Amino acid sequence: MEENYKLSKWLNDEMSAEELSEFQADKDFAIFEKIKKYSSELETPTFDEEKMLSKIVTSPKKEVKTISLYKNWALKIAAVFVIGIGLFFGARNFASYTEYASNGTQNTFSLPDESEVVLNSGSEIQYKKWNWDNNRSLNLEGEAFFKVAKGKKFEVNTSKGKVTVLGTQFNVKQRGNYFDVSCYEGKVKVNFGKNEFILTKGMSVAFRDGNALDIALKNNTQPEWLSDEMVFYQESLPSIVAEFERHFNIELELNATVNGQLFTGTIPAKKSDTALQILCTTYHLKPTKVTKTKIILENN
Amino acid sequence: MSKDEITGICKENIFSSFFKSHAKSLRNYLYYKFGNEDQAEDITQEAFIKLWQNCADVPLEKAKSYLYTIANNASLNVIAHQKVVLNYAKSSPSKESTNESPEFLLEEEQFKSKLLHAIEKLNEKQRVAFLMHRIDGKKYAEIALELEISVKAVEKRIHLALLELRKEFENFK
Repeated sequence: MEENYKLSKWLNDEMSAEELSEFQADKDFAIFEKIKKYSSELETPTFDEEKMLSKIVTSPKKEVKTISLYKNWALKIAAVFVIGIGLFFGARNFASYTEYASNGTQNTFSLPDESEVVLNSGSEIQYKKWNWDNNRSLNLEGEAFFKVAKGKKFEVNTSKGKVTVLGTQFNVKQRGNYFDVSCYEGKVKVNFGKNEFILTKGMSVAFRDGNALDIALKNNTQPEWLSDEMVFYQESLPSIVAEFERHFNIELELNATVNGQLFTGTIPAKKSDTALQILCTTYHLKPTKVTKTKIILENN
Repeated sequence: MSKDEITGICKENIFSSFFKSHAKSLRNYLYYKFGNEDQAEDITQEAFIKLWQNCADVPLEKAKSYLYTIANNASLNVIAHQKVVLNYAKSSPSKESTNESPEFLLEEEQFKSKLLHAIEKLNEKQRVAFLMHRIDGKKYAEIALELEISVKAVEKRIHLALLELRKEFENFK
């Protein structure tokens, strides 16, 4: 609906002669006429434009503050520190960690989730700290005993096979062509080639040259090597010699012809002399000490 | 900064002429709005200073609406409505016509003061539009532009203002 604002029309002198004469007949016309007249005489207080203009033009222009990242030393140094610390911790977390036990020693250490590992002589383990809780996987070369904290899947990879557990105690041994896993608590899954075995407490699996060996059930709660005993099961002399070398950190030279007789038994491993004596008696060998750490084994 | 090229409103002579053509009407607009001379002038100055400082970012054709936007935003913080104090032009022709009877002159004075009183009582929107037309002599289209409303709305405000004013003179013969 189009409103007709005739008063505004009239005030702006837009009325047609017709409309105007009609409006002039209105009884209020005189009053409107007066309002129109006197309101046009109104004025506002004086306004000093020049003064204001000079104030404005002389007002300081705001400088745009630019803090340059490249000019500010403090920021530069801080940035270097932040990046440095980042790299430092990043490298620490992403890098592979390697734990060793050299010949003649054992190494006990904890993984990031407080799982305990005891490394037997001449062994090493590689693992990554980063995201350990979600990816508990490590590489083993040699022999180690694990007390695994409860948590997600725990994997031990060796060149011979893979051992997967949930939270338990077990021993993994991988020496040359020999591979054995013994479970002391809980459950352990062993992958060897295409075979998969589930071990429970006291069970072991062992393989030599890819063939499974029969091993009797065990009653002990930890591997013998932790209490300084060496256990061999149908082991050949060169393998035993290699184990001796690792355990006692000595060098043995086998200068003898031996038949393929295999050895099964436990040898106390506290002292190298006693152990060597037992081995020599068994295989009719004669040990000759060449230097402090080198011994030649010859036919008796 | 590399763009040192002084353009448009940043040139002092352009700014001055822009100021001269708009300062008074902005100040009056704010004055009609608040009814306070000091506030009106403060905000006028503030708006022009902002324009001057940001001249590089405001093209000349946008300067006017930029100005009114700033002034309107600044007005939001101002508690409005003291009395609008208006004066009559000293050179008003009615005062010069001395050949009128004293009775008529008295009546005229009465009417004038009553009119001022009535204008003060108008609501803000009507008063602003009415005074922009009567005092600044602006066309409805110009008022519409400055208030950012339609011409029709200006006409409505003026029409209603006149009706309101007439009510004050209900008993005036």
